[in-house]
Amino acid sequence: MDSSSRAKIWKWVLLICRVALGVIFLVAAVSKMRPLEGLPWTVASVKTSLAMFAMGIDSYQILPQWAVTPVAQYLPLFEIFLGLWLISGIALRISSIFSTLALCAFIAAMGSVWHRGLTVTCGCFGQGGPPIGPKDMMRDGFLFLPLSVILLVGSFLLAKKSRARSAGAGAAVPQTGS
Amino acid sequence: MMATISGKSASHGTVRTAIRGGIAFAMALLCGALFSSALAAPGQSAKMAKASPSLAAPDKSYGVKSAPIKMEVYSDYQCPHCREFYDEALTRVIREYVSAGKVYLVHHDFPLAGHKYSGEAARWANACAEVGQFDAAEAALYDHQDQWGADGDIGKYIAASMPVSDFNRVQAIMKGSAMPAPQATVASLDPMAGVQHPCSMDPYIVQDIKAGYQIGAPGTPDFVITYKGQSLKPIYSSVSWPVLKQLFDTLLKQ
Repeated sequence: MDSSSRAKIWKWVLLICRVALGVIFLVAAVSKMRPLEGLPWTVASVKTSLAMFAMGIDSYQILPQWAVTPVAQYLPLFEIFLGLWLISGIALRISSIFSTLALCAFIAAMGSVWHRGLTVTCGCFGQGGPPIGPKDMMRDGFLFLPLSVILLVGSFLLAKKSRARSAGAGAAVPQTGS
Repeated sequence: MMATISGKSASHGTVRTAIRGGIAFAMALLCGALFSSALAAPGQSAKMAKASPSLAAPDKSYGVKSAPIKMEVYSDYQCPHCREFYDEALTRVIREYVSAGKVYLVHHDFPLAGHKYSGEAARWANACAEVGQFDAAEAALYDHQDQWGADGDIGKYIAASMPVSDFNRVQAIMKGSAMPAPQATVASLDPMAGVQHPCSMDPYIVQDIKAGYQIGAPGTPDFVITYKGQSLKPIYSSVSWPVLKQLFDTLLKQ
């Protein structure tokens, strides 16, 4: 397989990975903001859902109390931003760094809860569900994180390749001209 | 020749862009489907309705039933996290929201098998509730958790928390019963297993334990908040007061 075919495959893989990851982040954000059953989508109902999410974050017992509410309010917005950023494909290397770091932080938080034996629900896709266990960490660690790592590695490889190609083309032009 | 090559390359690029656009569109459709499934997550109300007690248990609640928010707490009097939750959050809920008629706070017993005297403490609390002294008993049990948790002498602290006449009635209810008391183990096991000298309060404790199993309580404390009849997802841990207060305030602003 020549290098251009490999590059083409990488582009496809990256497209699939970034759209899938973007959708995961968007769904996670909307699940956290979704109004409670029976309530319409209003600012007040979203605030209530975020207050529920704050309780979830608080029960992780990781953040200081003053940080719980700001994180609960801004994390879903960050996830929406990151999701759209990944799907857009703009500055993919930077967005993939952010998504990898975010997923590593989520996995570390869940691992810490599990290690301390706390019975806390994940809250990753809204409130509810069973307490955090290996299943949640495996989902993030073996499904979401690899997508992000593939994206990260692939975007850097492609960038390197395209830099090398443009450098090669740049070097070739004077030779042709001389 | 050059023009032909560049023309081919341009058309190839257009096709590639169109294919990639098509994939992005398909992914967007998938995104929409996932969104709609996220929006239509099933609620808890039906499950919660099943969990509501049916026996006319002694009143272990604070406030008025007509309050817009109902908070049902599942706790164990010998559990340190429950004591912390009571001291730091529930006392404030009672002071600031229950007294204002905004919250109806209900206690459910979920005495864990890992705590030797938790079932016995639940018996005392129910007996006190029977004579209208639940709030005094709950405060006494949490205030002296370390002491009675060490020697099991619960009656001493209950006696000190209420008038003698009421304590005599409580003692009459407790008469004839002895340890072990009902405790929560796993949903498949009967909480009354091993109970030799039952108390008339035991069925209420068992009822609370079963309600705890129904909400999936993995330990204590756990709580369920119901707003205007709509149950929120259960929380399986204690939370800090500012966060709980924020939830109440946002609910009351609906």
